[in-house]
Amino acid sequence: MASKLKQEQRAEFKRYKEDVQKEGKPFFPYAVFHDTIMSLVVVAVIIGLAVVWKVTADGTEPGLLGPLYTDKADPGTTNFVPRPDWFFYFLFYLLRIFKWPETVVLGTVGIPTLLLILLVGLPFLDRRRERRLLRRPVALVAAVLVVVSMGVLTWKGATAEEALGSELAAKVPAWSQAQGFAGNPKAVAGAKLFAQSGCLNCHVYLGNGAGNLGAPDLSAVGAKNRGADFFKSYVTNPAQYGNRVMGSYAFLGQENLANLGAFLDASKGPKKG
Amino acid sequence: MARSARRAQLEAAALAPLDWVEERTGLVGGVKYLLFRNVPRDVNWMQTLGSATLTAFLVQATTGVFLAMYYKPDPDRAYESIQHITNDVTLGWLVRGMHKWGASLFIILMFLHMARTFLFGAYKYPRELNWILGVLLLVTGMAEGFTGYLLPWDQTAYWATVVGINLNATAPIAGPFLAQFLQGGANIGSDTLSKFYSIHMLLLPGGIMALIGLHMYLVVRLGVTSPPWSRVAAGRPRHEGAPGGGREGLIREPASEEAS
Repeated sequence: MASKLKQEQRAEFKRYKEDVQKEGKPFFPYAVFHDTIMSLVVVAVIIGLAVVWKVTADGTEPGLLGPLYTDKADPGTTNFVPRPDWFFYFLFYLLRIFKWPETVVLGTVGIPTLLLILLVGLPFLDRRRERRLLRRPVALVAAVLVVVSMGVLTWKGATAEEALGSELAAKVPAWSQAQGFAGNPKAVAGAKLFAQSGCLNCHVYLGNGAGNLGAPDLSAVGAKNRGADFFKSYVTNPAQYGNRVMGSYAFLGQENLANLGAFLDASKGPKKG
Repeated sequence: MARSARRAQLEAAALAPLDWVEERTGLVGGVKYLLFRNVPRDVNWMQTLGSATLTAFLVQATTGVFLAMYYKPDPDRAYESIQHITNDVTLGWLVRGMHKWGASLFIILMFLHMARTFLFGAYKYPRELNWILGVLLLVTGMAEGFTGYLLPWDQTAYWATVVGINLNATAPIAGPFLAQFLQGGANIGSDTLSKFYSIHMLLLPGGIMALIGLHMYLVVRLGVTSPPWSRVAAGRPRHEGAPGGGREGLIREPASEEAS
């Protein structure tokens, strides 16, 4: 025995089928005509964008629509501000709202997942037969809110100038204070590199970082006074020290590695008192 | 008489290939139904967004095939092959430009098409499944964007992917494994690139094509939604003594209809 709603829905759909059969117009040529025009517009816009992009830009020199390509990927760079494609800006900006690392999962996974669940579940959340927008106030308000907030986040993401790495880099002065290596320029440069090279995606340093991959806390890694060269060679090839999990960072280059070693050796652990 | 007999012969000759195909596949009837099925009289321009999205996808598929002929998915050669496509290959800049900008348009059109579906209440009975297929298409489409972004192997591409993979890593339980899988090693390198490339051009397009097929099958099967403000009957309850045709929508409905 179907519920009253089910019966009404079925009856309405049956009536719709009959009405379209009786009063509709054939898909070809009427609807196809509109579809074709719209498709031609789409292709024209795509070609137009491609032409403007090519004509105004020259190699890595940006034109109206940005450069044809930026410089070749260089894993050793430490000051490049990462920027995803525009449709990920909203996600990118959520990162900045939630402070790394305790709540970042809310921004990166929690909210998007929740939105996705709501999106998939929509037909089951809203089961009324009413389709006129002005008589669906909840749907209308929810739609406006979603569009506005995604728009704002996308805009914020587009105009954001700092990246995650640079945000961590802002902590370098505090680190050098706590560890007492502020007077050592090599260690400070190494600290900056450490913040920007993604070390904190696995490691923890003075409460910053992810630490969800089981990598050790490095806040007091230099306490054993093994010297900057030991760390330099360790980071260059962790495998020779029996560490098969961590990859080689030899690509950072000798100078950078030396600074990194100086920084790690200077990390004796925060001074007590 | 003789003339009409000749005419019939001519017609039969012209339609012979079609008959040949029909006799072996039985598809002609289906195509005829597809083309000449009725849609509501008052479908409007907003309802062309779906086919516009399909067009954008076809542009991506076509240009992608040509790019794949010249692209080298290897960290040492990827960047140079992109430069080669952009600067040397005949019309390479156009094909690459169309692929790059078509991607953005594809995503925008998917969002607009979704907004239209939402505004029209077209996700309601019996079209719930098609809405879900659409959401899956949106997710796979964005995954295409994410995986394709790395392929030029320039600074923008590389660092955006570093951030993207780190985002994946923050997910509880599966996150680190997913990041490990995507990265395919200790840092982003040749394994990452070939992985992204195969996902981008084999796995996801295959999924998208299958989903689009189902999506359109359901559109044909269930019919195109008529706009909610439709003045044509299309599914409204019939009232005794109501004038028919275009004035149907002007009739005030009984109160029981309001509270559903």
